[in-house]
Amino acid sequence: MPRQTPASRLPERQRRALRRSVVLIAVALMLTGCTSISSSSAKPAASDAKAAKAGGTLEVALSAEPDALDPTLARTLVGRTVFTSICEKLYDVDNKLNIVPQLAASLPQFSSDGLTVTIKLRSGVKFADGTTMDATAVKTSLDRDMRLSGSARASELSSVGSVAATDPSTVTIKLKQPFTPLTAILADRSGMVMSPTALKSEGDANFGAHPVCVGPFKFADRVAQDHIDVVKDPNYYDASKVLLDKIQYKIIADSTTRFNNLKSGDVQVLDAVAPTDVAALKADSKLDLLSSDSLGYQGITINLGNVDGVGKPGKPLPASLASPLSADARVRQAFEMSIDRDAINKVVFRGLYSPACGPISPASPFSTPAAQVCPKFDPAGAKALLAQAGVATPVKVSMIIGNTPAAATLGEAIQAEVKEGGFDLRLDPTEFAASLDQTDAGKYQSFQIGWSGRVDPDGNIANFVSTLGSQNNDGYSNSTVDSLLEQARSQADVSARGNLYAQVITQLNKDVPIIYLYRQKNFTGVARTIVGVQVYGDGLLRFKTAGFAA
Amino acid sequence: MGRYVLRRLAESVVTFVLVTIVVFAGVRALPGDPARALAGEESDPTTLAQIRKSFGLDEPIPVQYLHYVENALRGDLGRSSRTGLPVATTIREALPVTLQLALFAIVIAGLIGLIAGVVAAVRRRTVAEWAANAVALFGLSVPSFWLGLMAILVFAIAYPVLPASGFVSVFADPVQSFRHLVMPAVVLGSGLAAVIMRQTRSAMIEAMGADYIRTARAKGLGGAQVIIGHALRNSLIVVTTIVGLQLGALISGAVVTEQIFVLPGFGKLTIDAVFTRDYPMIQGVVLVTATAYIGVNLLVDLLYSVIDPRVRVGGGAL
Repeated sequence: MPRQTPASRLPERQRRALRRSVVLIAVALMLTGCTSISSSSAKPAASDAKAAKAGGTLEVALSAEPDALDPTLARTLVGRTVFTSICEKLYDVDNKLNIVPQLAASLPQFSSDGLTVTIKLRSGVKFADGTTMDATAVKTSLDRDMRLSGSARASELSSVGSVAATDPSTVTIKLKQPFTPLTAILADRSGMVMSPTALKSEGDANFGAHPVCVGPFKFADRVAQDHIDVVKDPNYYDASKVLLDKIQYKIIADSTTRFNNLKSGDVQVLDAVAPTDVAALKADSKLDLLSSDSLGYQGITINLGNVDGVGKPGKPLPASLASPLSADARVRQAFEMSIDRDAINKVVFRGLYSPACGPISPASPFSTPAAQVCPKFDPAGAKALLAQAGVATPVKVSMIIGNTPAAATLGEAIQAEVKEGGFDLRLDPTEFAASLDQTDAGKYQSFQIGWSGRVDPDGNIANFVSTLGSQNNDGYSNSTVDSLLEQARSQADVSARGNLYAQVITQLNKDVPIIYLYRQKNFTGVARTIVGVQVYGDGLLRFKTAGFAA
Repeated sequence: MGRYVLRRLAESVVTFVLVTIVVFAGVRALPGDPARALAGEESDPTTLAQIRKSFGLDEPIPVQYLHYVENALRGDLGRSSRTGLPVATTIREALPVTLQLALFAIVIAGLIGLIAGVVAAVRRRTVAEWAANAVALFGLSVPSFWLGLMAILVFAIAYPVLPASGFVSVFADPVQSFRHLVMPAVVLGSGLAAVIMRQTRSAMIEAMGADYIRTARAKGLGGAQVIIGHALRNSLIVVTTIVGLQLGALISGAVVTEQIFVLPGFGKLTIDAVFTRDYPMIQGVVLVTATAYIGVNLLVDLLYSVIDPRVRVGGGAL
């Protein structure tokens, strides 16, 4: 059975030419050092370990404008990249995605009933304004995260009952129910400690315009839609390791313009290199490409019973949306079997990404062989399954996709593939904000959407598939999955939790509420004059030890 | 006179109120919930409700409007729902960027257009006219995003003499400002330069055939004096009118140029605000634009009445 891609709609001669060029591109990629990409998967990516000198201003191109630089309110991924310079957290991840202490002195201690968490803090740490970072500051920050109106942290901290400063270097957290993913949550924005003095003087509304935390750099200046400047912080506890005087984050939304700025030397680091620019970047002798596997995924969410909106109990879809796809798990399995993930990766993404079959990245310490099981590509099997389910073919299905050219290419590839499996897929290109509205409200059959990924698998699974989960916009509900996810939240042991998630994924493979398609890679372009830039699996750029080559 | 002024003022206020209502309602009619756009990935019903509350989006639209007007009258345009920064400050920072870019583009377009137009008119049916026409055709037909990208490829990457992006204010560092703005200004001004060239050329051709030019030559004036002092001076009236009419087009054209050269100007601000459903910012941008338009129109009307008293008499009779 030939692979069906968008190419299937081309005349045979062009199809052959296209296939030839795909092969050529693949060979070329292999010859031109594709190994540097694949070898870095799941490993830290850092620019060369050559000697670096102190001083200088590093210019970094960001792909979007960060939102408020207020750890309580911030929601964007680019915002997190800026925070790595100015706001350290209680915990961080290392290059293998293990959680390690940052402002805390050690990993948190969970009591035997899982309801009390004790956190010991690093001593002698000062905020950028010179005041001392202590347990009271941690309590002030966590209380603000939980209570401030519009807080983006409130829901991830919903398991926390109260926070107490037991002594200047000890924080005790009481939980409403056992919740071990808290450690990972404190390794993100909820774990950032804000200066209580600055919170008081700036007020809640203005703190994001002049954030003060603990970090190798401190906030200096921001001009909306242009740049954010941070400068070396002499108060930082590890200031001797910091080389750069200043970092200027420039906001350049267009990927071509961003890449041109890196080539021209106007910026030295480029966040989010487009897959289309990867080959050109690797061919440039003045530039390096860093890459790391994303913790997130891209996939297709299928509406099984979201009729009244997210957070409302699922029920059968109305006649206008009902289809065998929502009614019968075998039809969804058939849909998944008709998708050739490898072909999508090769044709749409030039083989740069990796096929994904589940919500946990293989790079995660929580991954198990069972979590990576992949339903096989088998369009003939799909047709047989549809016959077994007794549905008339082709099964008509609609899918909301983005309104960008890249989203259209992906949508058309899926459309061509599932046709072979017995599906007639209609694509509905929709502007992003409008598509979220529509799918939250349950007005869709299927939706091509992804998730940027979290270090703890709970953040990549629970909200999406647990009954009434906060991001469960497919209306899926399965008591076995709910109970396994609940158990995993009260387990501290990584391998025990990994096994529970494997069982969840096995069940999801049967029910297919989400078809996982591929996992992106974080590509970062760095000028060869710069050393010590680090990119881990969380996709954030770390500049603490970066500098200009000596 | 007093009555006329009052009437025009009252009309302007009504126009202004209507504009704000249309924008307020129009922005809210866009598909896409601003709270959802703001929440990004981390959305759940509780968070969305909190965001709506903190931006007052949970109130009925007429109440939201009244709050907005009340704050705007006190000079508070609110905070951007995207960046959390005050809208007024952001607009204040963005406006000078677009104004400097537009002014620079006019100067460059004027220089290129006038010189090419004069050459084409004076050296008719020569290589010079052909070249000037070719430049004009190029400027008119090449889209600015393509020209911008090519300029960056040549002058910032292949021969790195100019920066590829960014903005430096002319008041902060004139030299750096020039280096940052020259490429965007040429790109933005290329279309206008072509229009000016063609207008100058036809006006000059007409002027060169006029009686007063023959008289000037008969008086023994030199070629340059005739061309610049007499023919060009008279042709400039037409050209100036055209530049005035093209100014609006120039500022809207700046939207594209600002995107390509990453200039933090008014156009880019507007586009970004629409895509992120940043209601306070869209409203602020439209408010400033409407104020400028209504203000200028009012001023022009009042000036007309001073220059030509028939306007206010006629107006009064209506």
